[in-house]
Amino acid sequence: MSERPYQVARIDEIERDPTRSEWIPIRRHFGIAAFGANAWTADTKDERLIPEHEESSIGHEELYVVVSGRATFTIGGEQLDGPAGTIVFVHDPATQRGARAEAEGTTILTVGAKPGAPFRVSPWELNREILPLLDSGEWAEAKARLVRALDENPDSAGLLYNLACAEAQLGEIDAARLHLAEAIELHPDFADAAQSDPDLEVLRG
Amino acid sequence: MADPGFEVAQLDDLEQLPVDDEGLVWRPVRRRFGISAFGVNAYTGAGAGDRVIEEHTERTNGHEELYVVLAGRATFTVGGDEVDAPAGTLVHLPDPEVRRGAVAAEAGTTVLALGGKRGEAFTPSAWETVFAAYAYRRLGDVERGWELLREAVEQDPSAWQGQYHLACFAALDGDRGAAFAHLERAVEMDEEAARWAADDEDFATIRDDPRFASAIAGQA
Repeated sequence: MSERPYQVARIDEIERDPTRSEWIPIRRHFGIAAFGANAWTADTKDERLIPEHEESSIGHEELYVVVSGRATFTIGGEQLDGPAGTIVFVHDPATQRGARAEAEGTTILTVGAKPGAPFRVSPWELNREILPLLDSGEWAEAKARLVRALDENPDSAGLLYNLACAEAQLGEIDAARLHLAEAIELHPDFADAAQSDPDLEVLRG
Repeated sequence: MADPGFEVAQLDDLEQLPVDDEGLVWRPVRRRFGISAFGVNAYTGAGAGDRVIEEHTERTNGHEELYVVLAGRATFTVGGDEVDAPAGTLVHLPDPEVRRGAVAAEAGTTVLALGGKRGEAFTPSAWETVFAAYAYRRLGDVERGWELLREAVEQDPSAWQGQYHLACFAALDGDRGAAFAHLERAVEMDEEAARWAADDEDFATIRDDPRFASAIAGQA
């Protein structure tokens, strides 16, 4: 029997990401390659659905659609009420944005891509796919995938930080120090994280 | 006023543009916000049986598509299969060649359509402007329709479809001279225009004119 030329799924049936239970990885589930698409769903009221962030490093335009429930968005310092059916478009990648659920079961669909450029999977998504390997101590495989991800995203602080962790665990101390320094230069908050991260203990000795 | 970097709208407040005689109402999301990185539109069917996604393929622009049923319930026809799609359903079509369409199975059905071409930067489809032109005409704003159609031709003067639709509008206005001039130009640019014109109801009032047969035969 030939394979069907389409796929169908219910948002609430897609397996949530093990590292972040509110994340429903739609793009990854279907293998979408032309744009980014994810959903975020809250099991409880007041849960943070979209972490405060901006998109400067990847230059994405982002569209948020409240599929169900009600959310409060904080965008560029403004608070916005978002009942189901609300559409928020953030065209400036430098604008800070985030959202919190105002009702149990609130779900937000997010779509993103960079104007004028072919779509590439965001480094944070690649990083999330690699985290289970770090958690299970599969350091060599994690390192190989991080190196591949960095080929396309050389300025991703998160990828560099996790590469430093993998290298530290593999005993590649010089490389780990170098990549940790690069990660901290791009994202200074990683300096604090590195002080207590058990994966980096060997660097603190 | 400084650009705040974002805009907000309610889906229900978006413009409602009638697209066909099957109840398909287009809510232009991408045009409303000026989104330039991916395609996104919503379609609503007020009553059960109304069309919510027109029968089409994405062969022309090569888009991968994702449909999201936001409200109500739709019945998709995808590659010949019928798919029941209550609110919360996602339908993904990576292959632009696959035929797809949907009708509302319940009153008040809304479907969001997302699209882009793999490996290429997004460019807005010219059909959006043409769609809008016909919608305004349906709503009685013929002048706005003409403006949008001219805008579409300016956007892509090398596309035969622009001349073709100018011919349709002229025919609907009863301007035979302009209709034949644009139709001849369209056929000259691509013979596909002649195949379209053969069955197009927009030309009903000029089909009996001998110039019509000459125009679609490319013998003007």
